[in-house]
Amino acid sequence: MSQYLTLELRRTVRDKRYLALVVGWPVAAYLLFSTVFASAADAAEGLPSKVAIMVAMASFGAMGGVLMGSGARLAYDRQTGWLRQLSLTPLSGRRVLAVRVLAAMALSLPAILITFVVAALVRNVGLAPWEWSAMVGVLVLGCIPFAAMGLIVGCLADGDSAQTVSSILYLVLAALGGLWMPASIMPAPLQTVAHILPSNHLAQLAWAVARGEAPQAADMAVLLAWFIGAAVIAAFAARRLRQRA
Amino acid sequence: MTITTCADTGTEAVAATPQRALDIAGACKSYGSIPAVVDLTFTIRRGETVALLGPNGAGKTTTIGMILGLLDPDRGTVSVFGRRPAQAIAAGRVGAMLQDGGMMQGVSVSELLSMLRSLYPNQMDMRRAVQIAQLEGVEGRRVDRLSGGQTQRLRLAVALIANPDLLVLDEPTAAMDVEARRRFWREMRQLAGAGRTILYSTHYLDEADENCDRVVVLSKGRVVADGTPQSIKASVATRVLRFTSAFASAAALERVVGGDVLTVRGERVEIRAADSDSVLRAVLRMCPDAHDIEVTGVGLEDAFLALTVTGSNQVGVDR
Repeated sequence: MSQYLTLELRRTVRDKRYLALVVGWPVAAYLLFSTVFASAADAAEGLPSKVAIMVAMASFGAMGGVLMGSGARLAYDRQTGWLRQLSLTPLSGRRVLAVRVLAAMALSLPAILITFVVAALVRNVGLAPWEWSAMVGVLVLGCIPFAAMGLIVGCLADGDSAQTVSSILYLVLAALGGLWMPASIMPAPLQTVAHILPSNHLAQLAWAVARGEAPQAADMAVLLAWFIGAAVIAAFAARRLRQRA
Repeated sequence: MTITTCADTGTEAVAATPQRALDIAGACKSYGSIPAVVDLTFTIRRGETVALLGPNGAGKTTTIGMILGLLDPDRGTVSVFGRRPAQAIAAGRVGAMLQDGGMMQGVSVSELLSMLRSLYPNQMDMRRAVQIAQLEGVEGRRVDRLSGGQTQRLRLAVALIANPDLLVLDEPTAAMDVEARRRFWREMRQLAGAGRTILYSTHYLDEADENCDRVVVLSKGRVVADGTPQSIKASVATRVLRFTSAFASAAALERVVGGDVLTVRGERVEIRAADSDSVLRAVLRMCPDAHDIEVTGVGLEDAFLALTVTGSNQVGVDR
């Protein structure tokens, strides 16, 4: 099972399209936004803009890594027949699912780490070691609702359409969740939407850490609620899939 | 469309003894109202090498799907080593090669094989599996960059790496050339010799003839013949007798050949006979001038065609 997990991770990291989409994009966007908004006097989220944007872009990339890692890949492996072949091995369906969720969660790491390193080296973002590590921790764990959402897409959509659906979901969650522009400057109705979406609460966890505070229980509760809701739907989608097969 | 009803044989199902690798009892499977497999019953003992033969749509793939637990029979039971197929698979005792089996993309052949190998309790040596599957030299290549033939051989390696007690192969030689096929069967005979049970489906009837202990012939979802290749051939007209005679008259010869199939074209006569010796003696009495006499054995292909066309042991085709 650990060998399967390793191989799942290895093949994803080799995928250039994945790297460009979930690592290259957030880093490039960070460099651009942190230049454009460098002089922003009152920075959003009570943080200097180079830190606030760093957290937003790390959240953006992490969410993308997990959504794409679970959904699009699951649909693809379903379509090629690899999942069926895997069902002829002693690895149970439940363990295959567990490996895929773990792999998807781990795929949030490259975007987080590279964005942080670029921010530290290029923009001289200086935070305490505990803050860096706590931010990595909350961002990885906070991505769990996206793993479950990805599974729903992976079970219901086929190959290319799963890729498209995950990408759209990814962009909508990022834009409306206030990762591209602070929710505080959005029109009021959109602000309400932002405060419901898990993407916003993911970034909130790390913003709190960057301010030197503890992550808010309210943010964790919202992420947990999204996870439970998505996991229940994913379980139904997976059952439907098994019955059809 | 015929709606086929199927007797519920659940109560008659004999408990599988450990000597049985496979036990299918009264299995039925329909897709909507179209029956794919109807009241299928056969068993395979441990160590047997069995060919599943049948034309397209005969129910071979459905049968294999049920054996591998990919499909549940609507009625009847399928057990592998006395257990449900899923349990036998979970125990790592079954290795399977599907015709359209998908492979993990983006990894190398050796990465994939060593990962799969780690899942089984009784693994086969990597080099041995690669050698049998004739994948030497492509171990480092990415799975998604293999040719069609190489992908097919990788599917075989994936089935072998489990070092399974039951090896199920769906048309294993479909993409192989003659030399590769010969090498494949040599290796399979060795594997079978080690007490392994092998079930394969094939369209290459000469292969079944030479490389298996037993042939199960399917037609329209039913078993129409089950026995050694020799007995399958014997169950239909086994010999073709041909000769030329000026006295050849269909009416006279009808009496000699009885139930056998007779074709008369001018002076040339062809008789498909179950007992060619006695027919030949009778023919020689009737047609003393008979010449260009040939007696040839019927290949399994002819036997198979006769069985699947009529669905019975009677030869009804004139070829």
